Amino acid sequence: MGILENKFQDNVVVASMDKLLGWARSTSPWFFQFGLACCAIEMMATAASRYDLMRIGMIPRSSPRQADVMIVAGTVTMKMSLRVKKLYEQMANPKYVIAMGSCATSGGPYWQYGYHVLKGVDLVVPVDVYVPGCPPRPEALIEGLLKLQEKIQAERPLTKKIA
Amino acid sequence: MSEDQDKYIAEVVEKALRGDMDAINNIEDRVTRSKAKAALIKAKRLSKTAAAEAAPAEETAQTDTTLTEKSLNQKVAEALAKKFSGSIDSEDVNEYIQLNGKNWFEIAQYLKDNPDLLFDSLQCITGFDFGEGEALEVRYNLHSMTHYHAIEIRIKTDRNDPKVPSVEQVWRIGDWFERETYDMYGIVFEGHHNMTRILCPEDWEGWPLRKDYETQETYHGIIVPKVKEGWE
Repeated sequence: MGILENKFQDNVVVASMDKLLGWARSTSPWFFQFGLACCAIEMMATAASRYDLMRIGMIPRSSPRQADVMIVAGTVTMKMSLRVKKLYEQMANPKYVIAMGSCATSGGPYWQYGYHVLKGVDLVVPVDVYVPGCPPRPEALIEGLLKLQEKIQAERPLTKKIA
Repeated sequence: MSEDQDKYIAEVVEKALRGDMDAINNIEDRVTRSKAKAALIKAKRLSKTAAAEAAPAEETAQTDTTLTEKSLNQKVAEALAKKFSGSIDSEDVNEYIQLNGKNWFEIAQYLKDNPDLLFDSLQCITGFDFGEGEALEVRYNLHSMTHYHAIEIRIKTDRNDPKVPSVEQVWRIGDWFERETYDMYGIVFEGHHNMTRILCPEDWEGWPLRKDYETQETYHGIIVPKVKEGWE
């Protein structure tokens, strides 16, 4: 911190606003609580007491307006894809998407012949982190969430972007 | 006392052999009850050996009755031919009954209400596609909770204008079954109160389980049969 070092009393931390915002955002990414298929069971297990998502600051929210992260857990059918898009649009910025499981990343087992399945949720909404697995274990999902936290922390919301 | 007891046990065992096991189970005294049970087992063993000796004669008698006895399908087909003439398509009714769709609603009501048939449960409606240029078919599996018997009804319908009378008002579960068959095969059930798709989106094109089905290219601007480049 260079010139600001030792200029204040104890218990005062000096940081750049950018980093502070990144830190605050990354440590409380509330997630949107909805599941589409078997992956949702693993997501529920992740949120339950054994793996306890609360310890990394993740609280399930039932409304897209209050959520920061959308975990697309499961098979997205063509019928559901429009709804997923609408839900994503209803979320407030900044918003992030995790594609959980092989169905959400690429269509999974319905890759070739599933006429009714969206071949990856990234055709509809921008995805930040892909978590492979069918379904991924809670550890894998937590790994994905930590990756997302890293990504959020590295963001510089106040820094002007040079186009 | 013991003579009385022997007599009583013999009586009870006879009752049990006729199918009334409660006669033994209701004996209060434990010793008498176990004696009665032992006697019953002995009596059964005796009758079994006797039956084994008499078995060959009995077997031939049984096969004779099955030959003469009409199967349920034949009975139903005969009743339908009598009551609704001209509704049965095929003579062969051994495995299923082929109807032509005429009067199907009335026939369904008859099958459900007739006290000898009482098909009170529609277990399944299946659509069927025989391939290009061939007909579509609907298959109904009926079951009776009272008589514990079941039949299969098949109705063929034209591929270009598939129409079958609805039985939704007869069996309420037919509502969703018929909607699913409509969703997958495009078979219209006439008289259904809400003939819309049930699984696919309302504005989906084509009938997915038909053999000549081709997936649409886009749905609301989203590519459907997408194979991402560079992923394989």
